[in-house]
This record gives sequence, structure tokens and C-alpha cells, in this order.
Amino acid sequence: MNDKVFHKVGRRPWEWRGKPDGDTERRRRRVPGTKRHWLKWRDVHNDKSLTRERVLADKMPLWWTLGLGAVVLVTPFLSNTMIGVVTIFCIYAAINVLWTLIVGTAGIFSLATLAVVGAAGYVAAACNVYLGVPWPLMFLIGPLTGLVFGAILAAPSTRLDGLYYALLTMGVAEICRVFILQLRALTASGGAITNVDGFIPEDWFLQRPGLLLGFAGAFVLLLGALLVWRLVNSERLGMLLRVARASREDEAFAEAVGIDFRRARLMVFLISSAALGAVGAFYAMYFGSISPQIFSLDTMLLLFAMMVIGGLGRAEGAVLGAAIVTFIDKGLIELGPPRIILVALCMIGVTIFAREGLTGARAQFRDFRNRKSGEARARRTEKGGEAMPEEATEVHDKQELYYRRFNKRLRDRLKQLITPDLIAEHKKDPLGHHSDGLARVLNYFRRGEMADKYVIHRMKPAEERFRIMAISGERGRPPRVVDDREYTDIKEAYHAVFLLRVNDLMES
Amino acid sequence: MPELLEVQQLSAGYGPLRVLHEVDLTVRAGERLGLVGLNGHGKTTLMRALTHMTSWQQGSIKLDGAEIGGTRSLGAGRRTSGLVRRGIGVAPQGDAIFPGLSVRKHLECGAHTKTAWRTRQERIERIFDIFPPLRPLEHALVGKLSGGERRMVSIGRMLMVEARLYLVDEPSLGLAPKISERVMTALWDLPVEGAMIIAEQNVALLTGRCDRVIGMHAGRMRGDVGHVGLG
Amino acid sequence: MDLGLVVYAMNLAAIYALMAVGISILWSSVGVINMAHGATFAVSGYAAWIFTGAMKPVIAGAFGTSAMATLALAGALVASALIAGALCGLVIYLLAFLPIHDKPNFQVRALIITLGLNIATVQTLLWYFGPRNQGLPKIFGFGRWEVLGTRIRYDQAGTIIGATLIMALTLAWLRYSRKGLEVRAMMQNAEGAAYSGISRQATALPVLMLTGALAGMAAALLSQTIFVSPTSGTIPLVKGLTIALLGGLGSVSGALIAALLVGFLEAIIGAVPFLGQRYVLFGTFIFIIAVLVIRPRGIGGLLDDTRE
Repeated sequence: MNDKVFHKVGRRPWEWRGKPDGDTERRRRRVPGTKRHWLKWRDVHNDKSLTRERVLADKMPLWWTLGLGAVVLVTPFLSNTMIGVVTIFCIYAAINVLWTLIVGTAGIFSLATLAVVGAAGYVAAACNVYLGVPWPLMFLIGPLTGLVFGAILAAPSTRLDGLYYALLTMGVAEICRVFILQLRALTASGGAITNVDGFIPEDWFLQRPGLLLGFAGAFVLLLGALLVWRLVNSERLGMLLRVARASREDEAFAEAVGIDFRRARLMVFLISSAALGAVGAFYAMYFGSISPQIFSLDTMLLLFAMMVIGGLGRAEGAVLGAAIVTFIDKGLIELGPPRIILVALCMIGVTIFAREGLTGARAQFRDFRNRKSGEARARRTEKGGEAMPEEATEVHDKQELYYRRFNKRLRDRLKQLITPDLIAEHKKDPLGHHSDGLARVLNYFRRGEMADKYVIHRMKPAEERFRIMAISGERGRPPRVVDDREYTDIKEAYHAVFLLRVNDLMES
Repeated sequence: MPELLEVQQLSAGYGPLRVLHEVDLTVRAGERLGLVGLNGHGKTTLMRALTHMTSWQQGSIKLDGAEIGGTRSLGAGRRTSGLVRRGIGVAPQGDAIFPGLSVRKHLECGAHTKTAWRTRQERIERIFDIFPPLRPLEHALVGKLSGGERRMVSIGRMLMVEARLYLVDEPSLGLAPKISERVMTALWDLPVEGAMIIAEQNVALLTGRCDRVIGMHAGRMRGDVGHVGLG
Repeated sequence: MDLGLVVYAMNLAAIYALMAVGISILWSSVGVINMAHGATFAVSGYAAWIFTGAMKPVIAGAFGTSAMATLALAGALVASALIAGALCGLVIYLLAFLPIHDKPNFQVRALIITLGLNIATVQTLLWYFGPRNQGLPKIFGFGRWEVLGTRIRYDQAGTIIGATLIMALTLAWLRYSRKGLEVRAMMQNAEGAAYSGISRQATALPVLMLTGALAGMAAALLSQTIFVSPTSGTIPLVKGLTIALLGGLGSVSGALIAALLVGFLEAIIGAVPFLGQRYVLFGTFIFIIAVLVIRPRGIGGLLDDTRE
């Protein structure tokens, strides 16, 4: 009959929830060789249906799979130019993810990321062209160069902080560019090394199969970068740094509790530098050449814009930003110079409105909504509410809030009922028939919480001596004596309790 | 006497932390009010809430009948300068000083009204009369002064303009007993018209000198302690 | 060292100081690393170019070719550059300061916004005017003085004198005026400044306009030596930033000393036969990196002897 379903406020009816069988044991598959689970399933209790439900607590893997899967599925059907654009997107996204590792996880504000890529690319390309090293070995030379270059760059990072280090790395990139431009051997080609061998066969170059192969390689590269990011962040190294970052104001604190976060930061920096070296080797192979353009400020700024638009310090932000900016910069090439202006305007707009880029917008919106609703609740309940805006957002059980509000209103109304007449009435006859007003007040008192509830204590059995005590409200802890007055008449004691309660009510 | 400051149901805190709980407070014009309480019981937060330096607050603060409080969640300190210009003088905890300015320049900073700026020469002289140790240090950098001298500069800066309400937070904090005694004596002997709230941990320094002493405990007012309870 | 080298070094130092002091003041008082300083520089140069181009016939009609005409042209050039710089400061205030100055991550976000402004402005100039270099009228003329056997070009002397004058005016303003006192107070302790009745919003605007005007002045002076082009702001920006950092961000005297040091260093590297002009940037960066690794707070850290 009644097929209308009512959902709890805040519940998402479209969200799939598993219905685990309560009798069988729960089995979760682990990633081979580790103790990790593939997905973060959590069992929750549904208050309404009183059943156990299984929800996916962390949905990021789902979005990653969907997004990356879409890229793989769509790309083969695109035009030749667009395949090139997607390939470049993959390379940039890989660089950005590794950069995120440096900026976000390690907390080192390095701007020399592209310099590492470029240096590794140059060394690998030079080995290939001038020394005749076969191309698969470039994947070894690249990371090694990246590691060495990263080690040189990392040395001053322990000494300089923030801006100073950013500037230094910018200087290093500039020095690299000038150095390459001044090499005598390369002046003929304007500093570029051309005719680099690669994994794409020569006769496939710029043909559709070659482009697809290039895309496949770049996609594997992106997956590799994401894997590095994931490994670093989920292993001991990343966790150490997360702890250190939680107490960023006080790095001394992290050191005092035994976290060698400086070393951890350096390790992360070195790992990502080596990975960036591999990207550099790939870069040289894919384009078949490498030019000093890679060291230039403009390219660096373009990549920085990607990270900023997506959200600094998040892998998903790095990839999303790379997608947006690469599409504007390479996909809308017929727009001409204004497309860089468009990128810059995107950057300004996102930064003005979003705290942490596009991928942080959701959390920011939630914070905003919580704050506003808290403020509104506080305003609405100004007459009867007891919850502060900040508190109202903290109290999870909304029923609690409404109860407090109700209680406050009730007390306000009862306060008006209390008059000298009413007290006199109670004094005359503490038990027995009461007027409507007194009955209401007494009913309220009876319903009060156990903690600090007053009781009458007969001091000796069969003796008419009474004291007033208050119950502690905690198991095992005896009641406390309220005052040392003794009453010889039980009615007097009743009335004294009544007065105490009235007093408490009027004070609240 | 008319009521200068009227605080009703003021709650305030930092981030998710709530430090003040529904504080009520009334200050009459010309009154000297002592605020005692242990460390971490909300004295400084009350001072900061009155000048909008906390990150959020709720409740009502009325200065001379005009509402200056309100619910805010963002932008600590955004309205502080405006409130100072409306007549609240502040000597904050830990002396918010300008280390690179000389004592004279530092005092000039305090003269934020037009008249005060025009007559800053006389005003600085007056401060030097109140705190004689500062006179020889007129051109010394504040960053090189000792703690007691800094405190004097900080209070002097507050006194450059006639405020209606002075807030002095922990004038004896971190000072040697002798020096803190001297600072307090100077503070009490001030020829100021406006009301003054002094937060202080050391009750002995307040005894017998305030019009009223109020205790603070766990972010709530503990009523008038009066002079008897402190003896 | 011969006098020509000194003059050349002073010339460089003057331009660098104008940029670096602006960046340094802005950082310490408002908390913005102004990456749009280069854009301000370029815009001021173009504004001066357009304005003097428009005024040339008018001035020629009024004064003919007398000395008065040159003077009027110089006035028009400098004034237009200053005004354009100050207006750029206003734009930065409206976009990068006002909407976000009490939000979280203000400093990083302001840096990013000014960086975006820089890119957008430079690209707009490139798009609209093209990459061609534009020559501005030479307000100091083409002559040379013979002093102690070396020749000093008028534009070099004019740049040094003009920059010194402007710097002196700025420093005097900071030192003696009431607004300058407020700016200095805010540079040293923002919370204390608020307690002294100094409003951050009201102080940030003049500071941004002043630093913009300084960049405009630098553009006007440098236009006498090199041409104006859309990307002409990049090198002064990078140099200004590095020198401001070398001076220890926030220290005006540190920035001045750093500008002098770098100016002389560049002149000397350029003059040494086996290094030459190509290694100037290289050498400067190495020098700055070395100094920063040894003294992380820059030169300002050496000068600052106040207690923590």
C-alpha cells in the first residue's frame, strides 16, 4: 500500500549500501603482499531500519577509476591532434602529481621540478645521441640523474624555509637554462638536442599508431606517478610527515616526540626527484628532442597554474588542473594568445573564491553550509536556544539540540509560575492536592536529571531527623550533603528541597 | 553612574574551542574593575573578545548603549582598530610592541585621534611624567628595552588617547615583583577619567585598590569577590 | 676600479632598489608577495609611451624645441608612469587584498593571485601591442659628461639622481609622516597596530599604491636605457624579488644594501674579461644563494639587533 519511502535528513537515497548478512563472517580481500585492503568498506548501523549496512567510506578510488578509465576509453576515438593533447596532459599530470608529493607531502616549496625533469631529460638524451646508449637504458639514466640533481637541490632545503627556498629553486632553473643556452655544442640548434631515439619506431612518428603508442606510454607514466604518490603517502614516510604537518606551528614538537621529519622530507624529495628523472627521460623520448624551453619561467608558471586551479597539495587536484589547463592551452590553440590570459583568469578566479582549489571546493562548501546553518540556528533559537553556532555544528544528535531548546522554553514558562503564593501553598501542604501551577512545577522537578538531584536522608532509622543530600549521578559515588541543617519534620524537609529546586530553576 | 559597558551572555573562543561561557558584566563610567582568575580561565579571552580579537563570539556587548558585539566566525581582529577608535584603550598581554621603533615613535603610534596627534608632544611629556624611567630612553629602540620598560611603553601607548574604557591585561606578567609593584602603582595613580578593567593573576596587587574585583573561573564569572574574600 | 664601472653599478643598483624596496615594504606591512610588480612595471612603461606619444605634438606646439619642451616631456613621462603604477596598485588592492585579506591562507593566495595578474597583464600587453620594443623619448638627452676622464651618459646620471630622490622621498615619508609611522608599526606587529587603532584595510591601499608608483618610477627611469616591451617587467621582477630576499624580506635598509651589492657585483662580473655579460645572472644567483645558505634571514638579519 504505502510505497512512499521517507529518508532521514542528510541521507543520500541514491547511494548504494550493501546489506551484509549478519551471520557469516566478514571477508575482505587484501592487496597481495601487504596488509592493506582494496577498498575501505565500513559497516554502519541504520537507526531507522535497525539493520547493518555496508558503505564505502572512501570513494576516491572509485572516482579515480572512473576518471582514468574514461580517458583510456575515449582517447582512441579522438582526432590525431587531440590524442597529442591527451598525451601531453598525461605527462603534465604525472609531473604535477610528483610535484604535489614535494609540495604537499614533504612541504618543500620547490619550483625546480621542471628543472629536474629537464636536467634528467638532457642527460638521458645526450647519452643517447652522443654516446649511443640504447633507449631502454635512458629509463635508468633519467632517474639516476634526477636522484643526483635532487640531492643537490635538497641540501639547502633544511636550512632555508618557504619563500627563500622557492626563490633559490627558481634561480637554479634559470641557471640551468642559461647554462644550456651557452653550451657551444648546442648553439647550432638553439640549445636543443634533437633526434633522440625512443620507444616509438621511427616510421610511426606522428602517425596514428605512433601517437596511440605514445599515449599508452604516457598513461602508464601517469599511473606510475600515481603509484609513487600512493606508496609514499600510505607508507611510514608519508604518515610521519602527516604527523609532523599536524603540528606545523611547532616543528620542535615533532622533533621532541621523536619524529625525524627533516630526514623524511628529504627522502620524499629524493624519491620524487628520481621519479621526475624518469619523466624527463620519457619526455625526451616522446618528443624525440628536448629544448631549453623546459627550464623557462613560463612553462613552470603553466604547471603551477595547473596545481593552483586543481588544488595545491592534492593528487586529484594536480590531475584535474592539468586536464583543464592543458585543454585550454593545447586544445583551444586556435584562440591564439588570449588562452594564456584565460588560464591566468581561471587561476585568479579560483584563488579568490576557493580556499584550496577546485577539488577543495566541496569541503569548503560544507564548512560554509555548516557555519551558516549553525549561525541561523543560533539566531532562530536566540529566545530559547542554548546552542552556540559552533557548538550546534558539533552536536551530532540534532534531537539533543531540540531537547535543550524545549527545556529552556519550559523553564522560562515555569519561572513565571513561581510566586510567593505558590511557595506558600507548597509549604502548607507539600504532599496532597496541588493547584495546576504547582503541579506543573513539581512535575518538572520530578523529571530532572539524576545528577545533583536532591534527596532527603533520614539520619537514623526510626528517628525524625532529616538532612538534605544531592545524588552524585555517578555509580558508586555516594551522595553529598548539601548543608548541615537538620529537619525534624519530614514536611519541612520536603519544603526545603522544594525551595532548593526553585532556587536552581530561577538561577538557570 | 551610567553604565559604560554592558556585556550580556557573551560567549567566545578560538576555532572549535569555547573559552567564555555566557558572561555577563557591567562596568560603570569611571570604575576600576579588577578581574582575577587563574591561568587559562578566560581573562585574556574576555579582553580579546571585547576588542574582537577572538575568532568568534556571540552575545551582546554594548559600549555607551551602542552594540559592538555580534556573531562572527571569520576575520579575527578585523574590527579591532575601529573599536579602538571608538574609545577602547588596550594594553594587551605580552605587550604588542613594535621592536624597531623608538620609544617616542611608539608612543606617537598610540595617538590615533586628530587632537591627540596634534598635541602628541604634551601627551608624550605626560607619559614620561607618569613613567619617569622612560624619559632617558626616549630615542632607544623598544626592542632593546627590558620587560618592565616595555610594559611601561605598552601602557603609555594606551594612555596617549583619552579612552572611555581601558583594558589592561596582566600588567605584572613576567615582571620582577618590585617592578610589577611599580607598574601597578603607576597604573593606579593614573589621572584617567574613563573606566578601567585590569586582569591580574596576582590578587595581592589588586587588593584594596579596585572599586570592584570579579573572579573568573572556567570561563564564567564568579560574582563579586569583593575585598573581604581576598584579605 | 674605474669611475665608469661605479656609475654603471650605481645605475643598476638604483633601478633594483626601487623594485626591491617596494616588494619588501609590501611584504612586511600587508603580507603580500607582489608577483604583479613586473606587470606594474610593464604597464607603467606602456602608459608613459602612450601618454608621451599623445603629448608630443601638444608640447611641441606650446614650447617649440626649447629646454622647456624637454622638461615638460620629462614631467609628462614621469607623471604618467607614476600614476599608472599607482593605479596598478589599486587594482592589486581590489583583487588580491580586499576579497581575501581575512580568509585562510591569505599569503599564499595573494601570491597566486598577483602571479595570475602578472601573467594575464603581460599576455594582454603582448596580444594588444605585439612583442615589438617601443622607444620612449629621451628626457635626459643624449649627451655625456666628462668627469675625471670617464664619460657618464646623461641617462645614467639622471637615473641615479632620480632614483635616489624618489627613494629619499619614500624613506622620508615612512620616517616622518603619520601614515608612514602607521605603515612601519604594521610592518613590525600587526596585532599591536590594530590595538593602536591602525586599520589594515586603510593602510594597505596607500602602501600598494606607493609601491606601484615606485615600480612606475623604475619603469620610467629604465626606459631611458632600454626599450619598453610587454615582457620587460620580468627581469626587474625577478631581480627585485631576489634582492628583497637577499636583504631579508621586510627590511628596507637591508634591501637598499642588497641592491647596491648586487648592482656592483653585476657590474664587476660584466667587466671581468673571462666571465663577461653572459654570466651575470648566473653569478648573481650563485652569490645570493650562497649568502642565503649562510645567513637564512638575509642582510636584514645582520642589521636587526633587537630582542626577540
